[in-house]
Amino acid sequence: MLKIDGVSYRYRDAASPALQDVSLTIPAGGVYGLLGPNGAGKTTLISLLAGLLTVADGRISLNGQPLAEARAANPRAIALVPQDYAFYPMLTVAENLAFFAGALGLARDERRQQIDAAIAFARLEQVTGKHAEQLSGGLRRRLNLAIGLLGRPQLLLLDEPTVGVDPQSRSFLLESIAALPASGTTVLYTSHYMEEVEAICQGVAILDQGRVLSEGTLDDLLSTADSSAEIELDQPLPAALAERYAATDLGHFKFGLFFRSTLGPASVSMVVEAARLLDELAEAGCTVRQLHVGRQNLEQLFMRLTRRSLRD
Amino acid sequence: MTRLTALWTKETLALLRDRHGLAALFVMPIIFILVMTMALHDAFMPGAAIDVAYAIVDLDGSPHSQSLARRLDKTGSFRHVAAPATTDAARADIRAGRYALALVLPKGFGERLLTPAGADGQATESLTLMVDPTLNPALQLAFRNQTSAALGMLRADELTHSAGKLFGLPTAARPAERDWPDEIVSIAVQNDRSIRPPSSVQQNVPAWLVFAMFFVVIPISAILITERQQGTLQRLAAMGVPFRDVLLGKLLPFFVVNQIQAVLMVAVGIWGVPLFGGEALVMPTGVGLFHCWLVAAAVSLAAVACALLVASLAQTTQQSTIIGGVGNILMAAIGGIMVPKFMMPGTMQTLAEWSPMAWALNGFHTVMLRHGDFAAILPDLVKLLACAALALAVATWLNRRQTA
Repeated sequence: MLKIDGVSYRYRDAASPALQDVSLTIPAGGVYGLLGPNGAGKTTLISLLAGLLTVADGRISLNGQPLAEARAANPRAIALVPQDYAFYPMLTVAENLAFFAGALGLARDERRQQIDAAIAFARLEQVTGKHAEQLSGGLRRRLNLAIGLLGRPQLLLLDEPTVGVDPQSRSFLLESIAALPASGTTVLYTSHYMEEVEAICQGVAILDQGRVLSEGTLDDLLSTADSSAEIELDQPLPAALAERYAATDLGHFKFGLFFRSTLGPASVSMVVEAARLLDELAEAGCTVRQLHVGRQNLEQLFMRLTRRSLRD
Repeated sequence: MTRLTALWTKETLALLRDRHGLAALFVMPIIFILVMTMALHDAFMPGAAIDVAYAIVDLDGSPHSQSLARRLDKTGSFRHVAAPATTDAARADIRAGRYALALVLPKGFGERLLTPAGADGQATESLTLMVDPTLNPALQLAFRNQTSAALGMLRADELTHSAGKLFGLPTAARPAERDWPDEIVSIAVQNDRSIRPPSSVQQNVPAWLVFAMFFVVIPISAILITERQQGTLQRLAAMGVPFRDVLLGKLLPFFVVNQIQAVLMVAVGIWGVPLFGGEALVMPTGVGLFHCWLVAAAVSLAAVACALLVASLAQTTQQSTIIGGVGNILMAAIGGIMVPKFMMPGTMQTLAEWSPMAWALNGFHTVMLRHGDFAAILPDLVKLLACAALALAVATWLNRRQTA
């Protein structure tokens, strides 16, 4: 289990801290999603976990052991798969794997075994003799991931592992990543693709401006009594209602609304809120063309928590 | 050791697949050595033949005029070609570019040799030098001076002969025609020590070898910057590979590359240059060869360390190519690689003392030309090693700072 406790970090010469009092508990044996807009602090947190930055404020522990000690005891315990293709384009797939296995200090037999396992895992058998620079985007992502698995890490840090790949490769990568906990590797997964996180993560934390806005199991986060609605009218939504339901204008008199729970369980609350909304719209003389009400998805939750304003 | 072996293998494979880097390291210096050794062949040989031809139009045909012609021929500096019989023919030849100088010895030259112009009341026809106006004025002057000197010698010998006869001194029937006084040996003065200047091949082989060794900056920075940009360095750091291992992983392969360059360039000097008509490079033997290798090793460490520093300073490979390439050319220009230091004015020689390439070249020249011992090369070795240590320390500090 990875425990992050009150961690803050400020880069040299930075005006504001990159992380402020971040506390998370990431259970062993699962895929944990780390979400946040650009500049939220995800990369800083991953860099701290990978040992690229040193924790100055707060504590991080892996299986009860302080992170630095855990890394010293087993340097292969945590592996990082950067967002970029962090391998050598002029080397072949096999040469890249052999180099990184050597860099990990694996002995000859173990090296052979781990390289074979990584090739099989990422299904790279057909391209082992190809130079990495000749691979397609999807194969490069698979090689990037395969290198990360060479040391059989307890914790794998994946930074946007599916950027720039076709749907088939993405689906393959997601399935492969989802299967990792079964072989003893806990995954910390950062991505901007909400549907990916929703598909494979059991736990999620949403970060923004260096702070944790929300964290917990995916079910817990999405099963709050808050629900959402999408409504289409024949005229603009009255201002009072727009304010009450934190409406977002989707164009063509369509609006996204949030129903905040005030009355018991989500399902009850949702029905009561929907009925009340329809009454009020009728009173205001609005004709409702369409109404969809339901549990909010991760993207809606994310957008609500992080606001819609553009970052960087 | 597994880790270092992996790093060395990776660097070697990456370099072997970098065709531009290999060309910069091996092909470029070989071409430089061959071209520059040939081009500067004569510039390094004081008193060497000048490829300018002259003819003598002997209108006198006396023993004295023939003697002057032979004396000029013996100096060997200018090329003597067969002369036409008349001045007009000589003028036409010069116009046609067959030769650049024609010396006309007037009729009565022999008779009037010991009679200063007008001393006996009769006009003496002077010697005429016809020149191609495009000929370098310094060469025109040089030929005039040679002619004056030869004429003076001829007069002196004739005078000695005549005076001897007059005073009844024992003299040879005819004084032997003395050679041009070539016992004057040229000495190039370098600072406070006088040494024989290097020959073209002795200057060019070590000079372009040093230049080539410093060119490891191109492949080293190309790989290191790619590693940084692609996150590979981060990945290695996350794997627990210390940055000093990454540096060590580059030091050894490129040290070996530098040694291969040294062997190759020396081989070109010994066997390649003579194929093109130049003189062969002569290498020291025994302990001298070991001292030569010590210099090569120190140059290599300085070159690889400077390359790592450039790779750490530059953000992109374009930047590193510019910083590394221009930096090398500047170091070479002020360090006596392109223009030998002994040809530079004093202020430039002082400036050259600040170029690591000058220390390197000086080290090689100390061993190859002065046959200096270990103590003689030690100052240059210390400077090169200090340069390497400083560059490595700054490179490490910069990389640490970038990741903090």
